[in-house]
Amino acid sequence: MSKCVTICAIGFVEEDILDRISGSIQERCGIECKILRGTENPQYAYDERRCQYNSRLILDRLLRCGHDTFGILGVIQVDLFVPIFKYVYGLALIGCQCAVISLHRLRPQFYDHPPNRDLLVVRAQKTALHEIGHSLGLTHCRDRRCVMYSSTRIADTDFKQSHYCPTCLELFTWHLERCQALPYP
Amino acid sequence: MTATKKKESMKIVPPGKKKCVWMEAGVVSYKLCDNNYDCSTCVYDHAMQVKVARQKEAAVTEPLEVSADKFTETWVEKMMQLPASQRKCRYMITGEVGRKICPNAYECGNCSFDQMMQERMQVEALPVHALSDEGGFRVAEDTYYHEGHTWAKPEYGGRVRVGLDDFAQRLLGRVSGIDLPDLGHQVKQGEAGFRVRRNGDVVSVRSPIDGVVSRTNSRLSENPEIINESPYEAGWIFIVEPTKLRKNLKGLYYGDEVHKYMGEEKERLLSMANMGTAADGAELVDDIFEGLEGKDWDKFVKTFFRT
Repeated sequence: MSKCVTICAIGFVEEDILDRISGSIQERCGIECKILRGTENPQYAYDERRCQYNSRLILDRLLRCGHDTFGILGVIQVDLFVPIFKYVYGLALIGCQCAVISLHRLRPQFYDHPPNRDLLVVRAQKTALHEIGHSLGLTHCRDRRCVMYSSTRIADTDFKQSHYCPTCLELFTWHLERCQALPYP
Repeated sequence: MTATKKKESMKIVPPGKKKCVWMEAGVVSYKLCDNNYDCSTCVYDHAMQVKVARQKEAAVTEPLEVSADKFTETWVEKMMQLPASQRKCRYMITGEVGRKICPNAYECGNCSFDQMMQERMQVEALPVHALSDEGGFRVAEDTYYHEGHTWAKPEYGGRVRVGLDDFAQRLLGRVSGIDLPDLGHQVKQGEAGFRVRRNGDVVSVRSPIDGVVSRTNSRLSENPEIINESPYEAGWIFIVEPTKLRKNLKGLYYGDEVHKYMGEEKERLLSMANMGTAADGAELVDDIFEGLEGKDWDKFVKTFFRT
């Protein structure tokens, strides 16, 4: 198994965003990334009552799709939810190295602000690092500046920094070493 | 900063806090009320009354020494030295009324305005001065919280108002009925105090405090959804005459402890509800019960209502 993470665009996602998320993961986590495009639109996960997409169903589909890396991160444009949340920016299967993030609520336009590509990318990078942390086994951090802090609203995402606090980083490295040592399932 | 300015800055009353009547009257330079203006059960008031009485006695035998001491008058005596137009009613001091001058020499026991206010305040919960947010849950400041997600708020006159916190009302979702305790019923901290119904499901909720139920919120019988709309004000559940107030309050969360507790409860809820997943951007829905679709409901009730 390749010791890198697959970044999987689900439906259409701008290339530069995928590239910059990949760069951020390489820089902060020391994990190589490869980008996979052309995954089908997730019509199977659409919930007509909520007019949103069920992120758990998307994760299940991602898990089943074949990839030769030790982890997979889906990136999607549509609005995601899980049943007890109004929305989620991202969802991860803890310890399964599988996660998905949505760009829908990370775009400044969603909050009636003018478009800002850099801000969108920074938010996407933070959310990606957060979900990768969960997917390896990290839990939420109480430090508001740590990328593993639980964002309830977008202001929380904007406040936190694009890296792990020393404790979370140590834990991340420990989990990563263990995961990479495991045989591919 | 000059010494005078430093001294003045020490007298700032933080938002939501209130001056003790002894400070208001000018007998002591700085003291905040920590007993919700229930002077009858206030240790500080009792100690000051004793101190003033002793010094009055001493003034007869040792007039020269006592003249240097400032605690020779009670707050009532000090207030009575003011012109009649400046003798603030204690409801004006506490902010319950905008302007009211005491016409009754601070003999509240004989005051009809006091009786009227007492009755009115038992029906209407005091407004919440500050609401903060912890992980998407509203937290009323200056309120004590029980681990079983009820709140207790000591109010003027020594009584304590009780209700469900925002976490509980969102977990339960649309409340369809509530079984209120009988008047005169004795409730105990950590034991079943009342029951909340959600269609066919019934949840027994713990009382945050020991006491005798003196009033219940009758509006909840007709409109139980008030609990969802206004958990800290109009949706209060019952009022008790507490029997172990000081001891009970030590067993409840207050201030920063509440935020820490709510944050931990949210994380516990997420980990139970999401079954092996973790999310970011997790603002919970208003009706968590519905979101769970009945999945492991008993387990959630047992965990969060401590039943």
